[in-house]
Amino acid sequence: MDCAKSLELLSEYRAGALDTTHRDGVSSHLSLCTTCDEVFRDLDTIVQAAAALRDEVDISFPDERTLWQRMVTEKKITIH
Amino acid sequence: MSVAEVEKPQPSDVELARKSAEGDGSAFEELYRRHFRRVYLLSLRMMGNPTEAEDMTQEVFVNLFNKIGSFRGESAFTTWLHRMTVNQVLMHFRKRSTRSEMTTIEGETPIQIVKGTENPNAMPVVDRISLESAISQLPTGYRTVFVLHDVEGYEHDEIARMLGIAEGTSKSQLHKARLKLRQLIRQQAASK
Repeated sequence: MDCAKSLELLSEYRAGALDTTHRDGVSSHLSLCTTCDEVFRDLDTIVQAAAALRDEVDISFPDERTLWQRMVTEKKITIH
Repeated sequence: MSVAEVEKPQPSDVELARKSAEGDGSAFEELYRRHFRRVYLLSLRMMGNPTEAEDMTQEVFVNLFNKIGSFRGESAFTTWLHRMTVNQVLMHFRKRSTRSEMTTIEGETPIQIVKGTENPNAMPVVDRISLESAISQLPTGYRTVFVLHDVEGYEHDEIARMLGIAEGTSKSQLHKARLKLRQLIRQQAASK
């Protein structure tokens, strides 16, 4: 397998979604090609970092009360 | 405050939704208070812009207020609201695309693979800030699929249904998004 084909299949390879022939082809290529292997490891890092974002709440949120008041004041939400 | 008051169980989301549907404003406000941050965070990740995310959060809760009576409790309230938020953001993208602002789901700029030999350093540490920044720079189509799959955990078949695209397109967009992120993160690190 060449670099182009290997690079095209890296996400599917990581997901374990390739058939045996393609999986073995990518695996063999990665063991021989440091460039593609590095890309694969980088993608793995990105995927893991993205999954960790799911529970991250360390960001600046707008003020909850202000947004609520705006919805009520503008009568987008009518509270009785 | 008595012990009994302290230990008083909180009403469930389902209960609050039912009361909201019956016109109980304080119940709806409690739902808003509980879920505001989650809706904002999801909107922010999908849209990549705090101002747009704030407006979207408002739109989602107004929509929720109007549709709360249609919640049947067949799925968890959080799942229902999450899906409502995703759909609302996607609708926003579609409206924007009719004004020719949205990058189409297909035909993105080809991604150049940054070879290891071009940058002898290992991938920089992917912290939250650098990743969030890179995600916000992705074209809309890439960002949508990446956030739904890699951040929010949706499967490709679900994403395909939501976006009205083929499952293979979802997979292809995800892979391109990851490669683009790699390129952006490396560029960010190199410019520091």
